[in-house]
Amino acid sequence: MSRETTTVIVTGAGGVGKTTISAAVAIRLAGSERRTVVMTVDPARRLADALSLHSLANEPSPVPDVTGLWASTLDASASWEGVVHRYSDPDVAERLLKNHYFRAIADRFPAAQSFAAAETMAMMIESGNWDAIVVDTPPSAGGLDFFLAPSQTAELIGGKLIRWLTGSQLPGRRFLYRFTGRPILKIADTILGGPLLEDVAEFLLDLRTMYDQLAARAETIKRHQQRATTLVATTADPAPVAEVLRFFEELTEVSVEPAAVILNRALPLEWTTASRQPIRGIPDPELRAILKANLIRWGGEARRQATAMEGIADRYGVPLITVPWVADSPTTVEGLGQLLADVDGLDPLITDD
Amino acid sequence: MLERRLLIVSGKGGVGKSGVSAALGILAARRGKRVLVLAMIQPSGLAAHLGVDSLTYEPTRIRPGLFAAAVDRSHALEEYLGLQLHVPRSLPMRQLSNALSVLADTAPGIREIVTIGKPIFEVLRGEWDLVIADAPPLGQLQSYLSAPQTITGLVPMGAVREQASRFESTLADPSISGLLLVTTPEELAVLETREAIAQIDAERQILIAGVVANRVLEPLEVESGAVDAVSDGPPRDAGLLHTGLVESQAVWLRSIPDDPRLPFLFGFHTPAEVSERLAEICESFA
Repeated sequence: MSRETTTVIVTGAGGVGKTTISAAVAIRLAGSERRTVVMTVDPARRLADALSLHSLANEPSPVPDVTGLWASTLDASASWEGVVHRYSDPDVAERLLKNHYFRAIADRFPAAQSFAAAETMAMMIESGNWDAIVVDTPPSAGGLDFFLAPSQTAELIGGKLIRWLTGSQLPGRRFLYRFTGRPILKIADTILGGPLLEDVAEFLLDLRTMYDQLAARAETIKRHQQRATTLVATTADPAPVAEVLRFFEELTEVSVEPAAVILNRALPLEWTTASRQPIRGIPDPELRAILKANLIRWGGEARRQATAMEGIADRYGVPLITVPWVADSPTTVEGLGQLLADVDGLDPLITDD
Repeated sequence: MLERRLLIVSGKGGVGKSGVSAALGILAARRGKRVLVLAMIQPSGLAAHLGVDSLTYEPTRIRPGLFAAAVDRSHALEEYLGLQLHVPRSLPMRQLSNALSVLADTAPGIREIVTIGKPIFEVLRGEWDLVIADAPPLGQLQSYLSAPQTITGLVPMGAVREQASRFESTLADPSISGLLLVTTPEELAVLETREAIAQIDAERQILIAGVVANRVLEPLEVESGAVDAVSDGPPRDAGLLHTGLVESQAVWLRSIPDDPRLPFLFGFHTPAEVSERLAEICESFA
């Protein structure tokens, strides 16, 4: 490798345009002659079409018409199978993958998809195949889970249940029957109506064997995340803005410092003042009245956006980058390339030359 | 829409579920019903939409007839064990709820049944004319709706199973329970809504009481191309943005049921203002 891999993480609440922004950032990086990969999560169909993403695959495929750009769509199940195979003994791995609790955990544990994304990102960085990696994060907890998942997963695997049942030491399988003999479990099983806890405990014991390696892995993943450039995407709507605030409050826990807040679907603030001035150059009075009323409405929205964003970037000492609201979200690689072409302040953050 | 006893409100994240839940609660209370609005997951925008700082597990009185609460898992679990399963108080409840709480992190359905169980339990208690649940987003909704079946499939007998089948039949009874899906006229929100409709129709867990499109823009009363022909400047730019958005919304509106539509609210600043205004608008159809 001639230079260190540039990693850009685009995070934020669901529905703010994270995947679109990730793809657009990746196109800019590929345009600066970096061999670039963008890892997407659940892209909209038309965006997936633009990037030629037709199925879940952690393995990147080249994007037609864009030199130097590859794209993938996160396959969380495959990532988990990979994790199990990498971090446990073959017989344990086989037992785990067949266990119906395993699927339930892989599918339902809120941070599971986020952990899979973080692990996939780490493997891409370590492969040495890429000059630039752009990661779109799962929307879970407004993107926060992507950063918290490595520790949370280790905690889960570490087994609150196991520890509660047995104390801090890792028990062998033969202890299983001794501790399920605890009276409280008998009561619990009577209420639950089956040997549910015993089943779960057996499963957790298998999972627990991966703990040490997975905990070490979580530390490595966190270091990769801390070195990356993190962009927090949002719109000016109250819900995503609240997520941004939460993000800054809680990210200090994992020592990640976002490089910028990206305000997507931004309206020009000059509409606020323009709507108060007489409108010239529209001879038809009816059309003039309609467009004036429309400008007043949207000018009010521009003002509301400015109020909503006021202070966020300043308070946390990061630049605010605005991406204009376009009527139709870009769905071609040309459109994606143009989305960020006139956006101020972004390029220096994502390229270090 | 407000004639049933339980209304579960869901939709893709960010489409305005909490605002619609609050608005319908305000409206029903105004009509003289005794209403409980429940935030099923945290963080939720429900408190802000009801004009209060925060919600607790104990219902807070918002105004005459309108109460609101937030479900948190440890309280819900205790209530589930004590009030719902009638676990005798002589048993070591704390340890038991510890055991179940760690189990809930692992076994499918437990966490979900405790959460979805809260609004159903409130309905069965009979204290309210209407319970509105501001539910988890569509991505997670299915695991909550199917939790009762998951439990009955996993647990052969006992109190948990009995309670789960009671929940299952309450949800499935169209005279008691309904699901309201909120969407915005955008690609991802509409496609997710359609997938959810297809899946729920197939599994018949609950009646879909309606699909509401939120933030719908009114077309400008101008001839096509008229805005394009205007000279450069903010009036033209704002006009083109508006007509462009109306066009792309129309595409997505065509592919969902022709149910009530809520307008994009210009000039509303606080969540509480939004839900008050939505309540007035809902007056016409709910």
